[in-house]
Amino acid sequence: MLRPFKNKKFILLFVTIVLLVVMGISSIQNNKINYVGDIFSTILSPFQRFINFTDKKINDFFAHFEDINKLREENESLKKTVVELVYENEKLLELKIKNDELRRTLDIKDQYNNMEMVGANIIAKDMGNWFDIFIIDRGTKDGIANDYPIVTSRGLVGRVMQSDLMSSKVIAIIDEESSISARLSKTSDIVVVKGDRKLKDQGLCIMSYIPADADVSAGDKVETSGVGGIYPKGIVIGRVKEVRQRTNELDRYAIIEPSVDFKRLEEVFILKEKDINNNETSEENK
Amino acid sequence: MKLKIIAYTILVFLSVLIQSTLGDSIKIYGVKPNITIVLIIIVALLRNNTEGAIVGFFCGLMQDAVSGTVIGFYALMGLYLGFIIGSINKRLYRENVLIAIFLTFVSTFVYEYSVYFFSTFLRGPLHFVDPIKNIILIEAVYNSVISIFIFIIVIKLHIRFEEYDKNSRRY
Repeated sequence: MLRPFKNKKFILLFVTIVLLVVMGISSIQNNKINYVGDIFSTILSPFQRFINFTDKKINDFFAHFEDINKLREENESLKKTVVELVYENEKLLELKIKNDELRRTLDIKDQYNNMEMVGANIIAKDMGNWFDIFIIDRGTKDGIANDYPIVTSRGLVGRVMQSDLMSSKVIAIIDEESSISARLSKTSDIVVVKGDRKLKDQGLCIMSYIPADADVSAGDKVETSGVGGIYPKGIVIGRVKEVRQRTNELDRYAIIEPSVDFKRLEEVFILKEKDINNNETSEENK
Repeated sequence: MKLKIIAYTILVFLSVLIQSTLGDSIKIYGVKPNITIVLIIIVALLRNNTEGAIVGFFCGLMQDAVSGTVIGFYALMGLYLGFIIGSINKRLYRENVLIAIFLTFVSTFVYEYSVYFFSTFLRGPLHFVDPIKNIILIEAVYNSVISIFIFIIVIKLHIRFEEYDKNSRRY
């Protein structure tokens, strides 16, 4: 009965079919079979964290000797800016209080209000050259779930693609598989920002489905629209670098320069929903 | 047998770990080498198709876990890479490092283009020259250089395994 299992070609065919089935099942989101990946990534993540930590420490150590003089100059200029910023900050705080009061009177729902920022380190990057996926050191044990947005202080980075026990896979907005509903700050037109394989290496992405009557020019700010439910409204994505035309005037696309520098990304923040009950209901709705 | 399993586990584990963490700091022209597929190629070349396929499968599965959109894609690619190279190695003078370099070059080319093909062909327009010029060619050259170092490590293991096999056959 077991004779066919001794034939190499039969085993190969068998494994191939099993893998194809597994691929099919795992492409469905939130599936149980993704725990297979969970096992390996849980084993790997402490080691990745360690290597990443030592790598950073070694770099810091050498950088220490290089820029003592640079630091001294920088320190002086920074002190000046601190004084200026403290003054500015006081002014802005006043404005913030006023703004809050006005918002309360107008009853505008703030999408950030029920969000909490969780810091995370990038511990590993994609192994091949084709995708822009990276691993952060927070997982389901920190309450991270799929589709949580990832940001830095400068703007949008991407979203959680797959959260494992101790780490999560994050897909960057410059990856080909990512597409975000965005909004031009100037005219409030809704557009789509997508990753592109050719532009990815330069850290750029593409903006398409630009309405025909929209007034787009280089330097315009692009932010998330809040449509689609993953990203809250108003996170900065980047600026328009160049507007191009495909075949006629109506068919346009623009190249976006994200405000986040994807080549030098080390620490990110996860926007986590505060209310646990709220979270569960949103998952049920899927 | 035990020796083999331990040695391969350590090799696969280390290569995936180095590739995923330090891969970005050894980029040349924005392209990083792929140590794991070099490992698969060299193991399959020096040993046989069964061991090549097993190492390829586990390397791929680890890669799926670390970075991959679906589970099983890289595992399948690694499995076939290991199996095919392991099947043609009898016709080659395999203990020559030049063969290893040449084979690494060719298989990186085929492997990376297949990854590109399968991840793109249903989604958008396929290009031929662009991905080869920008990524694959550089990676193939880079991998060929790295194959020399991995060859040195794996051939030592290979000699050890052969001796071990001979000794165990005598009794």
